[in-house]
Amino acid sequence: MKSIVHRINLQTRHETEMIDITPQVLSLVAGSGVQNGTVFVLSLHTTTGITVNEGLPDLEKDITEMIQRLVPDGQSYHHARFLHSDGQMAVNAPSHLRGALLGFQVFFPIEAGAVVRGARQTVYFVELDGPQYRTFVVQIIGE
Amino acid sequence: MIDFHTHPVMIKELQESDPELARRIRDVFGFFFPAQPLEGFLLEMDEAGIEQAVLLPVDCTTAHGGAVVSNEQVARLVEKNSRFIGFASVDPLQPDAPRQLEIAVRQWGLRGLKLDPALQRFYPNDVERAHPVYQVCAELSLPVVMHCGMSWAPLGQAKYAQPLMLEEVIQAFPGVNFILAHFAYPWIHEATMLAIKYPNVYLDTAILYSGTPGDAMQKVLGEQVGLHVVERSLWNKIVFGSNYPRIDMRRCVRGIRSLGLKPSTLQCIQYENARQLLGNGR
Repeated sequence: MKSIVHRINLQTRHETEMIDITPQVLSLVAGSGVQNGTVFVLSLHTTTGITVNEGLPDLEKDITEMIQRLVPDGQSYHHARFLHSDGQMAVNAPSHLRGALLGFQVFFPIEAGAVVRGARQTVYFVELDGPQYRTFVVQIIGE
Repeated sequence: MIDFHTHPVMIKELQESDPELARRIRDVFGFFFPAQPLEGFLLEMDEAGIEQAVLLPVDCTTAHGGAVVSNEQVARLVEKNSRFIGFASVDPLQPDAPRQLEIAVRQWGLRGLKLDPALQRFYPNDVERAHPVYQVCAELSLPVVMHCGMSWAPLGQAKYAQPLMLEEVIQAFPGVNFILAHFAYPWIHEATMLAIKYPNVYLDTAILYSGTPGDAMQKVLGEQVGLHVVERSLWNKIVFGSNYPRIDMRRCVRGIRSLGLKPSTLQCIQYENARQLLGNGR
C-alpha cells in the first residue's frame, strides 16, 4: 500500500474566489501509479474551503453569493480582536464561518488508475479571505 | 485611494534575504504569522481598491539593535513597483540621525519620515536629540508620520507616545506636517485637539484596539470625536491608513466607507489629503 502526499501552493487573487483544481488532482493520481485506492484533497487553512460542484461560472457566482448571504459581513462576531499569537487583528470571523460551512476536504475513490467522479464534478479550492499564498494537500492512498 | 500607513514587513523575499530582519520583525515588531510573497501585498492593494501605499520602516537601532526594514530596503521595494511610496526612518538617539535622513531622501529618494517613539524609546519633545531631525524635515519639506498612543509591538512603550508631548514640537516646526498615527488611541481627544488647532497636524485612521475596523472607526470618529466634527473641522486633516499587515486593507476600506461620511469628505480622507501631504497637490 502506497501513501503519497503532495503539497500544492497557489497565490489567490481575490477576497472570495473559486479555483478549479481538478486538473491537478487528476494529474497527480495519474502520475502516482496507484490503480485502486482513494485520493483525499484537503486545505491547510481555516479560511478556505474545498468543495465539489458543477464547473460553471454562474454556479461559482451563486455559491460565493450564497455563502456571503449565509454569513454576512457587518454582524457582531466574537472573533474581532487582537490576536497576540499572530501579532495582528483577527477580524475575519465571516471567512472562518464560511469555511466551516463549505468544509475543508473531499475524497474520491481510485479505480483502475482513474478518479471515480461524476462527469460534471469539479473540485474547487475556495478562497474566503484572500488574496493569500495558500497550500492544499493531495494524498493518494492505494496500490 | 492612498493607504498612508503600511509596514513592508511580512514580505517573504525580504525576510529570506535578511534573516536578522526576520528576527527583529518577529521579536521586536511582533509579527508571528508566515510572510507572504511580495505579489500578495500588491494583490491586497488591488482587492481593497488602493492605488498607492506608503511604506513605513522603523529604525530602532539604539533600543533594539537595528531597523525594522532599512531605508535602503524600502527604496528597493519602491524601485520594484511605483505604487509604493517610500518613507525613511532614522533613530533620533543616534548622533548621525539628521545626516542619515538627508541620505535617505537625497540618495534613496524617500519622501517622508516615520518615527515610532514607543518602539524607538525617545521622547518626541527631546530638544537635543529629536529637534535636529525635525529641522531636516523642515528643510526638505518632509511629512512626519508619528506613532502615537498604544503600540502593539511587544517592546513598544506608550509612555513615549503621548500626543500632548508633541505640542511644543508642532509649535517649534510650523512648516513640518505631522501625521499622528492611530488617532493616538487611547488619547483621541488630545490628538483631535491638536489636529483642530494646528494647521500642520493630521491624523490617520489606523485605529486598532478591538473589534472590526468599522466598529473602531464608528466608536472613535462617529461617537468620541463625532461625525459633525469630522465633517466641519477635520475633513482636510485625516488620511486613510490601515496599518497593514496588522490588519487587512480590505476591511479597513469597508470600515471608513461604512461611517456615512459625505462623499466629498470621504474623497479627501481616502485620497486628497494624502496627495497634499505628499506634495503633489500644490
